[in-house]
Amino acid sequence: MSTAERSTTRPGATPNRRSRQNFETWSWFFMRISGLILFFLALIHFSLTHIFNDVTTTTVSFVAKRWANPFWRVFDWLLLSLGLLHGTNGLRFIMDDYVRNPRKRAALKAFMYALAAALFVLGTITIVTFKGSLAG
Amino acid sequence: MSPESTLYKGKTGQWAFVLHRVTGFLVLMFILLHIIDVSMLNFPRIYNEIHALYGNVLMRLFEVGLLFGLVYHALNGLRVIMIDFFPGSIKNEKSVFYGIFSLTVLLTIIGGFIILRPFFTGSVH
Ligand code: HEM
Repeated sequence: MSTAERSTTRPGATPNRRSRQNFETWSWFFMRISGLILFFLALIHFSLTHIFNDVTTTTVSFVAKRWANPFWRVFDWLLLSLGLLHGTNGLRFIMDDYVRNPRKRAALKAFMYALAAALFVLGTITIVTFKGSLAG
Repeated sequence: MSPESTLYKGKTGQWAFVLHRVTGFLVLMFILLHIIDVSMLNFPRIYNEIHALYGNVLMRLFEVGLLFGLVYHALNGLRVIMIDFFPGSIKNEKSVFYGIFSLTVLLTIIGGFIILRPFFTGSVH
């Protein structure tokens, strides 16, 4: 695997500029650390909602019971934030590799970042404001 | 550097890489949608209605696909992390890849059985 070399081989990177280089090194490190954490968060989350419980039973009241415990709100918020950051940064690699036209690439990136940011806000609002008293 | 050099990702690792990329992308697309359907929690009727759809066969098959993608990406991600952080820790990359792939298939079959069972037995509507 040549993934270790990504920071210097990505076409978008300008290896001579220090700040760019630092950012790519940081990004490389972040993908690995967030990946390690997501390994537990994502697999536990999937097991709870699809394996140990059937999907059809994960209704509003199911969530209300789970989110009554702040631990699960924090758990789900971490999964939301790390999943979006890791996934969107991964998507940045993909866009750098396949969208070769600089203007299209810049436009697509701006769109994807805005989308991810909007969904981060939406997800955070959902986790923070959900009361669960209307559970049915 | 030429575009080719950046698109080429190695021989044996190439399939591992392509699959890692595709599964990462698909899981991200699912997360984006999933944030929207969960945001309906504050509108319980709508949430439960959308949610009931997850129980039909097509969605269950989709969930099995998601399981495959997530497990492969997670296990292969660990392999990449091992190789990068502890160079030399993985001696035979090829067989480790086959091991990961087989484990992914095995877990998908077991998980898929559990996910699809209610559809056949009708035990959960
Ligand atoms: C479950 C545990 C996970 C682990 C261990 C993991 C690990 C990794 C690693 C090590 C990379 C490679 C980064 C690089 O090449 O520099 C990566 C890439 C990526 N990951 Fe994950 N990841 C996980 C979960 C996720 C999730 C939940 C998503 C979706 C939201 C995701 C989306 C991506 C994408 C889109 C890429 C870019 C692929 C590419 O550049 O070809 N990953 N992941």
